[in-house]
Amino acid sequence: MTEKTKKGLARVEEIYEDRSKRAIELKEQGKKIIGYLCIYPVIEMLTALDMVPFRIFGDIKEPITKADACLPTVVCPFLRSSLDLGLKGRYNFLEGTVMSHACEVCEKTAHIWKTYIEQKYTFFIDVPHTVHEAAQEHLKGLLEDFRKTLEAFTGKDLSNDKLTKAIKLHNEQRKLVREIYELRKPNPPLISGVETIKLIKSLMSVPVEEGNDILKDVLAELKNRKNAPQKKSIRLLLWGSIIDDASLIEIIENADANLVMDDTCVGTRPYFDDVKLTADPLEGLAYHYLVDIKCPRTFRESEYGETSKNYMKDLSSRFSYLSDYARDWKVDGIILHSLRFCDIHGYEVPAIRDFLDSKGIKSIYLEPDYTESALGPLRTRIEAFIETLG
Amino acid sequence: MADEKKKKAISRPKAMYPLRARIDEVYQNSIKAVQAGKPTGWCMVNWWEADPIIMAMGIEAVYPENYGAVCAAKGVAQKYLERSDSEGFPSHMCGYARNTIGYTARMNDLGRIPEEAPMGGMPKPLFLLGSGALCDTRFKWFQALGRYLDVPMWTVEMPQPGVREEMMPGAHDRNIKFMVKELRGFIGFLERLFGKKLDWAKLEEISNDIIEMNRIWHETNELRKARPSPMHSRDFWTCMTGCLYPAGDLKVLIKLYNDLYIELKERVDKKIGAIENEKYRMTFAELPPWHSLNIFDTLAERGWNFVVESWAYHPPKPIDLSKVSDPLERIARFTYQWLSGYYQNAMKAKEWWGFFAYPYMDFVKDYQCDGALLHPLITCRTATNHLYLIQDRLMQTMKVPSMIAEGDIVDLKLFDAVDVLRRAETFEESMDHYKEIRRKEGFEW
Ligand code: SF4
Ligand code: SF4
Repeated sequence: MTEKTKKGLARVEEIYEDRSKRAIELKEQGKKIIGYLCIYPVIEMLTALDMVPFRIFGDIKEPITKADACLPTVVCPFLRSSLDLGLKGRYNFLEGTVMSHACEVCEKTAHIWKTYIEQKYTFFIDVPHTVHEAAQEHLKGLLEDFRKTLEAFTGKDLSNDKLTKAIKLHNEQRKLVREIYELRKPNPPLISGVETIKLIKSLMSVPVEEGNDILKDVLAELKNRKNAPQKKSIRLLLWGSIIDDASLIEIIENADANLVMDDTCVGTRPYFDDVKLTADPLEGLAYHYLVDIKCPRTFRESEYGETSKNYMKDLSSRFSYLSDYARDWKVDGIILHSLRFCDIHGYEVPAIRDFLDSKGIKSIYLEPDYTESALGPLRTRIEAFIETLG
Repeated sequence: MADEKKKKAISRPKAMYPLRARIDEVYQNSIKAVQAGKPTGWCMVNWWEADPIIMAMGIEAVYPENYGAVCAAKGVAQKYLERSDSEGFPSHMCGYARNTIGYTARMNDLGRIPEEAPMGGMPKPLFLLGSGALCDTRFKWFQALGRYLDVPMWTVEMPQPGVREEMMPGAHDRNIKFMVKELRGFIGFLERLFGKKLDWAKLEEISNDIIEMNRIWHETNELRKARPSPMHSRDFWTCMTGCLYPAGDLKVLIKLYNDLYIELKERVDKKIGAIENEKYRMTFAELPPWHSLNIFDTLAERGWNFVVESWAYHPPKPIDLSKVSDPLERIARFTYQWLSGYYQNAMKAKEWWGFFAYPYMDFVKDYQCDGALLHPLITCRTATNHLYLIQDRLMQTMKVPSMIAEGDIVDLKLFDAVDVLRRAETFEESMDHYKEIRRKEGFEW
């Protein structure tokens, strides 16, 4: 039981290095491990039935060989990599998957996954694009269907009570993650960007209670830590599409910068708002996943059905949380990152830059292709950017 | 001489000509109306979900996606693509989107329509209509135009569930309910924006005409299942625009589509095919190589008849909407049928990508195809995502081979017609081989 022997950041490192080990152990103990892709599958519903949500990631170090035959090279390389691992059997321990219409290619990947990879359980959540009340109600309906399929699969009742308990557990995780991020506010921060992404990735690999224990241990360790990250001259925030490997962040932190904040989906996005506790828990969940999570995959107007539009008002309604982060975490500059072929984030970049320019926040845009070799050339650009901030 | 010979390889239905002339005339009238100041919205292709409402409100719809194709054909797209790149938009995005972004940025600088803009350009719209159907670009692109256009935007929703999820009790109706609610919201938005009420009677008439026009078009395409098939894909692509972008007096279009139906029916009865010697029955996915369409003539000379194609451009399979009294529900059911009409069969076949990919499996079976020509597009992921899956599924389930020929929507030079024709010969051997295998395995064709 290695999980008992190591604690705090050492345990995080251990899970990060071999994410599936613990999941396989749990499977052997009779737990059902369910994979999910992107952050839109409502994992509280899995926890409520005592299943383990396990986030599917890609691997930037592994060349894509099998996915070429079913997903073309002109789509998101992260999704191609994830599918590639699935096809190679890296996720064979999963009992099933829940996927969603997080973005177009994510939606298509779900169907291809289901076609080629055998699973005992699958569900696809067709998350709407708008945040209108009708869309929230629609998503709630989809979650009702999700509930039915889960009940049929497990043979257990997914009662509102169980769901509320699970939401509370996940909200506790969200609160603990926010506490971790508070420790990135001091200068130097008490936890580095590399440690943070490893931590978040670990949380997405173990049951929520176990993750919460890890978080508590890490918090205690950080508060007394002697080996805090070195103070650098520049504090940065990282925005963008998925980063599921510490390499890019290592490059940033090996330069003269501390990465102190992010707006990514292996970072703040799934954690910075709690799910509201509503009489019908599905209502709170639908609201949270559609409205609270600020991923550019969702279309938002500054006001419902507005008939006049002002660009600056629109920008501020969509991005002011970013300038709030920059202010509160005393950020000097922002790295904008969109994976090659990610439409969701790519279309957003000039608008975000307009917004940041209007606030006097400097930014740089990177477009890696999800290979380790593509990261090297970014080093020079990152260093040059840091210099301009100095 | 050579050209004359090529034109004869495909026998084009006579009724196609007046229909196409009418489509062109309606398009020209629309351009004139827009230039004369008629209220205009820039719209994404929305598969009849919003079109009837826009028409009933007396608004002219302009489709920048189509305008991207026009700019590419007239050789001005490059200028707009470069402008989009210099504005900071990634160069790997949809070519049509980049074209519009570059065009709009330039129009914004000049304060008028750029002089090089083909067909009189696209005047500034009063609103933007995005769509959640098929690709993220369809709403992200218009949202990005906010940099240059302070005009409001609405996004119509179109559910795209998984096959099994759509088959769950109540799921279909819930999707319809959602679409209807959003359409009501859209009407409210337009009424506030234009300060006038929607003419519901007009909406009813327009949507019924659209449904009828598509029914005839569907029946026309059903005739193509005959051997030999009476109409080639070239004529499908020539005629589809009237249904896909409804405009003008729809009753006139209905009559012209009906004339086409009658002519094809006669061809079927007399066993007259679109090409003389139909040796290979083909399907094509997705957007055609607009500038190399003459390859189809050369292939026709070799006996290739393209009998079905381009799922997304096909009309919905007809459903009975006579008992649906709410016009919005009728629109929603009709439009959603376009996407979900194949799900029942997909469920039976345990194929999980119910639109885009699965329809080709029905096509190949129902139209008894010997092969598929698949056309991945470098800057349109949406028309490309599913092609490898199709290639595999057609082979696995029906022993039908596919040939892949790359192209693009704006870089028209990318499509190598010579290479396609060169490979056609070897591909014929493959089609012959699998025809034999299908025969041995007891397939019907
Ligand atoms: S990186 Fe972009 S394209 Fe890829 S899964 Fe995320 S949102 Fe979708
Ligand atoms: S990506 Fe393709 S489907 Fe989407 S808007 Fe562009 S051309 Fe059209």
